Amino acid sequence: MRQPELSTAPRSQTRGATFLARFVSGNLRDSELAILLLAPSVVLLVGIMLYPMLNVFLMSLRVQNTLEPSMVTTGFENFSRLLADKRFLDAFTRTIWFGFLTVTGSFLIGLPLALLANLETGWRWLVRVALLLPWAMPQIITGTMFAWMFNSQYGVFNDILVRLGFERIYWLIRPDSATVAFVLTVIWKTSSFVALILLGGLQSIPLELSEAAQVDGATSTQVFWRITLPLLRPAIAVALIFRTLSALQVFDIPYAFMSAGASQSLETLGVYVQKQTVEFTDFGYGSTVSLGLFALSLVITVIYLRFIRPEES
Amino acid sequence: MNSQVRDKTFWQKIMIVVALVVLVVNGVYPLVWIFLTSIKNELELTQVPITYFPQTPNFGNYAQVFQAQPFARFFLNSLVISSLSTVLCVTVAAFAAYALARLRLRYRRIISIIIVAASMFPIVSLIVPLFQIMRGLGWLNTYWSLIIPYATFSLPISTLVLTAFFQGIPEDLESAAMIDGCSRFGALWRVIVPLAAPGVVTAAILAFVNSWNEFLLALTFNSAPDMKTVPVGVMLYQGEFSFPWPLISAAIIITIIPIMVLILIFQRRIISGLTAGGVKG
Repeated sequence: MRQPELSTAPRSQTRGATFLARFVSGNLRDSELAILLLAPSVVLLVGIMLYPMLNVFLMSLRVQNTLEPSMVTTGFENFSRLLADKRFLDAFTRTIWFGFLTVTGSFLIGLPLALLANLETGWRWLVRVALLLPWAMPQIITGTMFAWMFNSQYGVFNDILVRLGFERIYWLIRPDSATVAFVLTVIWKTSSFVALILLGGLQSIPLELSEAAQVDGATSTQVFWRITLPLLRPAIAVALIFRTLSALQVFDIPYAFMSAGASQSLETLGVYVQKQTVEFTDFGYGSTVSLGLFALSLVITVIYLRFIRPEES
Repeated sequence: MNSQVRDKTFWQKIMIVVALVVLVVNGVYPLVWIFLTSIKNELELTQVPITYFPQTPNFGNYAQVFQAQPFARFFLNSLVISSLSTVLCVTVAAFAAYALARLRLRYRRIISIIIVAASMFPIVSLIVPLFQIMRGLGWLNTYWSLIIPYATFSLPISTLVLTAFFQGIPEDLESAAMIDGCSRFGALWRVIVPLAAPGVVTAAILAFVNSWNEFLLALTFNSAPDMKTVPVGVMLYQGEFSFPWPLISAAIIITIIPIMVLILIFQRRIISGLTAGGVKG
């Protein structure tokens, strides 16, 4: 990268001048300018994310007596309580299982969507809007909408099932069908996101590559597996990590489902953290639970950096 | 890679059309269903089998939305919070993106990693300490309790988009301006800013949508009746045992209107912003 040349301002204003003089004349040194420009971002990120996270670590040592909530001691009891907490362990495994299902599903649907959206048709704007809508909708509203559509008595999905001759399904009430409903809803919302990221990757693949391959006799399938997919790896990696991390934290959609009457079997880690901290106001234990969630995110991130993205130059 | 549709066979074209129809329907049907629900009467909803189109369209629900809850106030709150957080986010991100794209820094890599890593923190974990910070600052139930966090949450993606954008602007333009006598800041103002406008618009839209849709912090920090935001407000129509779905649906439609407008006008920009995140990683 060629360094832009220094301004032709008089020497007195650059060499040996004080910081203030340089600032006023608009001729800061690169390193000074960098600090100035990056400072606000760093302040915000440290203040809103880093410092609170440190606080979470500290607060998890704050042990509240469950029988006498006003008694507060310091210690590691929260952690032993965590490992014995069945509700936490359920939420933990449930979150991982949901995460696996929704991430896989969103890619299985997202990739074909991206390929379709990449085609040149006259209706591209409609396709774009249809792809953007699920992404742009607030999660809490998506959850509420689908909770209504999955309603046992008056929901659309059951209506279609009945018209097709099948039995009604008590979607939200029974744990296993609630899981299916939840996973389908999340897949609906997130496959658009995956499709959009993959679309970017697709659009950066030069057309000449696949054309040349086809001239050499390759079929469409071969072009897809041998050329497209490998070149999509960076985009897939990006979509994968963002999707996985947000799947672990998922809160709005289970909350919406549970507000609409779904069984507690949908309680993910995110929901459990919120319940403990906001509804039960045991800040110490809530922080401990959220450390469990953070640990999970950390492990996933490390796995990602180690195995999926080792070619970071 | 854009394959040409006209090169395909007839049957392939049919399959593509069918697939595209499925794609569009898939993206759109929940919204359509909610809209239809919003213009039905409560009574009609409890009929079995259910009706798809309302027998007598009733737009009264929309008026009811504003009567049952101070929804106009919620809307105003969301508008102010989302707009201000967007402005803050994009400004800060633009500064950072310029530094990352233009200035030769030894620690550039680390900064990029920090910015991306920040988006990996589970936000739900930050609720309690952020709550205490906001309470300490006296910002609970004000706009600032949400503006600052929202700006921060969208900072990584905005910086990513803007950095990619700045990198696309040739350096020679600035050099030329400086040779002609501009200072560093002058070159920034006269050359970069006008050219970066599209990128800024894209980043702004992404930040705005993220802020508008946010639920957890809004629920926790701004619980006072007149400070709630729209996503929180939508959940208020549910009673203990009653779910006035036509009313809820109408509220949902109103909530989505600004986003729909943004999508319809700016679809190209939004997609280019989101896909830039995928390409540059």
